[in-house]
Amino acid sequence: MTASHPLPRRRVLSGLVAAMVALPLALGACSSEDKPAADGKVELSFFWWGGEARAQITEQALALYTSKHPNVTFKKTWQANQGYFDKLATLTAGNDAPDIFQIDDNFLAEYATRNVTADLAEYSKSGKIDTSKFPKGLIEYGTVDGKLAGLAFGENTQGLVYNKTKLEAAGVALPTTGQSWEDHIAWAKDAAAKTKVAGTMDPSADYKAFWVWLRQQGKELYNGKELGFTQADVQAWFELWKGARDAKATPTPDVIHEGNATDVTKQLVVTGKALTSWVWANQLPELQKNTKDQLGVIAYPGDASKQWPRASMYFSVYRGSKNKDVAADVLNFLANDPEAGKILGTDRGLPSNTDIRTQVAASTDNASMKETIKVTGELAKNFGPAPTVPPKGHSTVRSELIKAAEEAQYGRATPAQAAEQFFAASQAAISR
Amino acid sequence: MSPVATTTARHTPTVPPAGSAAHQRRDRPARHRSESKAGYVFLTPWLLGLVTITAVPMLMSLYLSFTNYDVLSDWESMEWVGLDNYRTMFTEDPSFWHAVKTTLVFALVATPLKLAAALGVAVLLNKGFKAAGLFRGLFYLPSLLGGSVALAIVWVNMFNRDGAFNSFLSWFGIEGKAWVNDPDFALGTLILLAVWQFGAPMVIFLAGLKQVPNELYEAASVDGASPVRKFISITLPMLSPVIFFNLVLETINGFQGFTSAFVLSNGTGGPVDSTLMYTLHLYIKGWNEYQMGYASAMAWVFLLAIGLVTAVVFRTGKFWVHYSDGED
Repeated sequence: MTASHPLPRRRVLSGLVAAMVALPLALGACSSEDKPAADGKVELSFFWWGGEARAQITEQALALYTSKHPNVTFKKTWQANQGYFDKLATLTAGNDAPDIFQIDDNFLAEYATRNVTADLAEYSKSGKIDTSKFPKGLIEYGTVDGKLAGLAFGENTQGLVYNKTKLEAAGVALPTTGQSWEDHIAWAKDAAAKTKVAGTMDPSADYKAFWVWLRQQGKELYNGKELGFTQADVQAWFELWKGARDAKATPTPDVIHEGNATDVTKQLVVTGKALTSWVWANQLPELQKNTKDQLGVIAYPGDASKQWPRASMYFSVYRGSKNKDVAADVLNFLANDPEAGKILGTDRGLPSNTDIRTQVAASTDNASMKETIKVTGELAKNFGPAPTVPPKGHSTVRSELIKAAEEAQYGRATPAQAAEQFFAASQAAISR
Repeated sequence: MSPVATTTARHTPTVPPAGSAAHQRRDRPARHRSESKAGYVFLTPWLLGLVTITAVPMLMSLYLSFTNYDVLSDWESMEWVGLDNYRTMFTEDPSFWHAVKTTLVFALVATPLKLAAALGVAVLLNKGFKAAGLFRGLFYLPSLLGGSVALAIVWVNMFNRDGAFNSFLSWFGIEGKAWVNDPDFALGTLILLAVWQFGAPMVIFLAGLKQVPNELYEAASVDGASPVRKFISITLPMLSPVIFFNLVLETINGFQGFTSAFVLSNGTGGPVDSTLMYTLHLYIKGWNEYQMGYASAMAWVFLLAIGLVTAVVFRTGKFWVHYSDGED
């Protein structure tokens, strides 16, 4: 990108390299056609993002499937989250998407509305993919335009993670589910004064916190393919948090900006820069790994029944796959087989199959995993209907919210100006 | 005429020396053909690379820039939209103009500073003191790392609120800011990173300085010229072709800045769009929003803009670049 002065010799070399790269590509292109093998052997490509640990258990679970169905083997590819969707898009553009791929609610509608994903509803209806043990909302949250675009592979819901150690040391009462937003901010102000650590992360840039808050006001983030809120709602939300910042209940804007990154390791409750972080409840065990302080989790403030079972991620089947039936069977196995469930644990979220979930909870000795399952289970009892999957353009809406909220946090815009900017930008993103 | 004739004679001793003119005429073009054929054979690897990974994709992107190509959908659903992408860019996308501004600020500040640093250090190193070689290597090192991601990550951590730079400031009792997380300073840290990598133009300047004949300086000394005068009247004019070369390359590099902004902002251009460079905006449009047709149009506007800027630099070169082997 910078400061490379191409010498002629280097250009010749790069030409050679290019030819060496291009030739096999050109030749390979002729032979890459999928042919259904006559001997019944099937190779499925399987693509996911994640770390080393996830790779190990996923490979184990797939090996288990192969041992039961020796004719089915897998071409496994995995990588870090960064760049995953670039790669998936590139493969899709070349009509070479993997038979089965992992996806999340940021992108599910992008892929489903462009007809990349196979409709799994048929398999679900015929029982080839058994979803009878799934929470109902979890299936709804994988349905786009009436088609089951992805099989939810793990459930989570919003979770407010707090630093138990620091709060107890300073003699501050622990936060509880059911506090109003105003109470939470007042609590955070008090806690900040006593612990000398910012009381709560400012979640005004966080779409999931905004979404829960909207639902508690009787609104939605989206109504189908339209926005489910007004500019006045956004402004009220931004003003709520401006009040919190003015009351010194939150960190400074640059620290909030750090916390707005989605990586687990950058969450302020882990880095010790705030007493709470607004995350997904199933992230607690992962957060706990990154700090010595004891962490706890509760629901977001306000009426917790407005939260919903959100699919932490899905597995989708490529519409152009030659082996959709086999792929569906693999998904059924991964979701419902007790042995596979034991291997996969809660790595991708709480298992969608509630029987398996109970089994995993009983067999784990990880305290924070137990707490996650317990808290999510209690919240789930009161959940109302789930919202629809975010529509196409959602990832732009998310980044526009961060931009507008940060404008307000840095004091470059009033809540009213920031709200106007966000409302216009997200409307444009959705109607594209 | 004659070289061909001699080679023919030299390499074909078996041909009758008194061959007819007609025979020679037939013979020569044939040889020409086989020689050029060999040439093309040797060229093939490069040509193949040029065509398959540069020319074809470029033309393809030109075509895509007139469509609503969205990466994911079937090719059949792609529609020709004429100049819509270009129109949207100039009239309906406020982020486009913001990105243009950010990129201009970055390129117009970073490039002159980088060249000045490169020239200054090169002049100092040219004094030929003992450890000059060591310092030359050390100063060159950062630019070897170029647009590397690792370097950008280190840079971001250095300029964080609790980074090394602020620890350094605290020795003097100064409380630093969260440079990379502050919209007022984030672009500044990126400019600093670019300037710090002045090693490549520095080495070229150094080579240029060694070419300046010593007699000129001696003659000037005899006339009693001060060091500053010598620098302005001898070094700069003699070095002007090298300055020109570096200016062209670094300007183009400056406009293409991407990696460091991507790393600093996690691919978002934040905080608050302060590091949203043109290339980053293009990337976001293409890969996050799947508006690849639009992104292609942006790429072509970018190509034309850089071409234009380079042409302007070339034009001005007439007035300040002196080639010592020319008439002046």
